Amino acid sequence: MAQQDQGSLLAMIVDADTATGLLLTGVGQVDLRKRANFLIVDDKTSQAKIEEAFKEFTTREDIAVVLINQVIAGMIRHLLDGYNKPVPAILEIPSKDAPYDPSQDSVLQRVRFMFGES
Amino acid sequence: MCLFNVKDGFLEAVVRGYKLGLLTTADYNNLCQCETLEDIKLYLTGTDYGPFLANEPSPMHTTTLVDCCTRKLVADWRYLRENAGEPLGRFLDYCTYGHMIDNVVLIVTGTLHERDVQELLEKCNPLGMFDAIASLAVAQNMRDLYRLVLVDTPLAPYFSDNLTSEDLDEMNIEVMRNTLYKAYLDDFAAFVHRVGGTTAGVMSELLSFEADRRALNITLNSIGTELTRDDRRKLYANFGLLYPHGQAELAVAEDFDQIRTAMEKCQPYQSIFSRLGLGETQMLDKILYEEEVRQLINTYEQQFHYGVFYAYMRLREQEIRNIMWIAECVAQDQKNRVQDGIVFTF
Amino acid sequence: MSTQNRYTVTPTVSVLAVMKARLAGATKGHSLLKKKADALNMRFRQILKKIVETKEEMGKVMKASFFSLAQARYATGDFKHTVFDSVDQATFKVKASQDNVAGVRLPKFEGVKEGADSKLGLIGLGTGGKQIQECRKSFMTAVDLLVELASLQTAFLTLDEAIKTTNRRVNALEHVVKPRLENTIAYIKGELDELEREEFFRLKKVQGNKKKHAEAAEALEAARAGHKGGAAAAPAARENEAANVLATELQDADIIF
Repeated sequence: MAQQDQGSLLAMIVDADTATGLLLTGVGQVDLRKRANFLIVDDKTSQAKIEEAFKEFTTREDIAVVLINQVIAGMIRHLLDGYNKPVPAILEIPSKDAPYDPSQDSVLQRVRFMFGES
Repeated sequence: MCLFNVKDGFLEAVVRGYKLGLLTTADYNNLCQCETLEDIKLYLTGTDYGPFLANEPSPMHTTTLVDCCTRKLVADWRYLRENAGEPLGRFLDYCTYGHMIDNVVLIVTGTLHERDVQELLEKCNPLGMFDAIASLAVAQNMRDLYRLVLVDTPLAPYFSDNLTSEDLDEMNIEVMRNTLYKAYLDDFAAFVHRVGGTTAGVMSELLSFEADRRALNITLNSIGTELTRDDRRKLYANFGLLYPHGQAELAVAEDFDQIRTAMEKCQPYQSIFSRLGLGETQMLDKILYEEEVRQLINTYEQQFHYGVFYAYMRLREQEIRNIMWIAECVAQDQKNRVQDGIVFTF
Repeated sequence: MSTQNRYTVTPTVSVLAVMKARLAGATKGHSLLKKKADALNMRFRQILKKIVETKEEMGKVMKASFFSLAQARYATGDFKHTVFDSVDQATFKVKASQDNVAGVRLPKFEGVKEGADSKLGLIGLGTGGKQIQECRKSFMTAVDLLVELASLQTAFLTLDEAIKTTNRRVNALEHVVKPRLENTIAYIKGELDELEREEFFRLKKVQGNKKKHAEAAEALEAARAGHKGGAAAAPAARENEAANVLATELQDADIIF
């Protein structure tokens, strides 16, 4: 990680409510070039835009964790399944209207697979 | 007094009719029994909100629900405004200036962050819309904004009297919002005074409460922040039951107990605080809302005054808050908390 | 003995010694790697268990946070745009450090708060600021948990990878390198045996020849002894010498056997 001494950022691809809560904690960052570390997804956000944001966040060097609402993660499941770098870590988080469903989670699916296997 | 009915009697009748459409305790009890947002929608379709909800597609979200309910209030309000003569028209406008301040602040901050104007406009509170609002976005900095746009709005004096151009650039947006709000409350109070009669009596009571509540909230929320005592003092409105001695005490208060001592010196608030357990700040909001609702309902006890219009708007807003709360509780499966947020109106 | 599954070496004693050393090395490496794999596996299990637990907890914490968000919205009205617009520099960042498990470096994240967030401190000043701060606290715990979860998850993926490579190595040593070394050693031994037998046979032949020569010489001597008794001492000494050489040869062969 290039910016280890300064600490890395958390990136978010989340809906408006989740974003409000998370941004309250001060994780948000907008740099001088107006490049934000979060994408707020609403009904009008296209899938292509989400995918683009996902690709951007996973390749940026100053991002250590990417948080994605589970509902949104479901929309770009193919990208998530194909992603296997350890850093940045992809975390699926629940959203307000959809409580957390562990059976949907890519990582937990793998975990269960391991348990089943061993 | 005799001429009131000639000019405003019709609208007063209308607004009293609207008031009857507000949800009752029985309605709330039924709403609390709902299991899903669809149930809530179904139930609300049977109330005054019906026409506004009927065409909403499933699945429902709490935000859409609240939007629909707001539309009802806005439609009512427009009707009142269109049919109002003077000075009722001015009075109705005054009621919405608060929302206007919020909208201006929203647009201004949005513009400074280069957001899409159209998007911002959609998010404005429809009650606080004014003609020139879209052009707010043309301004690139605060000074332009004032020079080009705000001078034409009813808010212009609030800006020019209270904010210097340096303030516009540097001031924290929340401080600015509250400075404007203070100016607005002062102005509103002066206005109802000019209207005189029963209106002045009823409204000054309501506005005093509003002013005191804001003073209390500002104090409570600024403890431990960088807001200095002097700055805090500047945000209090220049009237209200606490003015001036209570405010002086509030201005120097450093924790909740000091605020409490300051507030309890004022008779009406003593009873409010006595309902609060020690150290229980969580419930304060709700108790204040309840007190407000009580006062608002009292305005309907008298006739021939404008307070009923203000009260109607406030009650509707409280009702929308209640609906939102119920909807959130239902949506998030927290039904045991549902009673915590509802302020029963009738 | 298949000729494919061994190294191509010249079957000599020194190569044999080298191979034996390599086999010993491979065995040692195998047992060490096996231990490493076990250690990693143990850690892996721990992490798996923790991930499942934390994920569930995260679900609960997030739920509570969203509820506090609803509370804040109830008290304040819609404040999300104020929040969105006051985003500037991140005050909450993630510091990455490393944890060492049996030589595998696991990235570990830690949330760090930097500086005061002045802009959000005053949010909801007029109404409901308290609730917003409550909501913020609630989300703070959620974010902390998320960061922890992130480091667990990264550890999970890294360990998964590390365990795979370690297992590959263990298997490679066990099923490829070790058998091959063993085969090579067996092959060299076989070859050396072969050489030995040839050598022995050769020596036998030499001995036989020598015996023949000696007998011939003796017969000649016996015949000549009739003529000249004094000359008998010298051939006897020569025969002794030959027997000595044979003896040393035999001794050497013994060492090899």
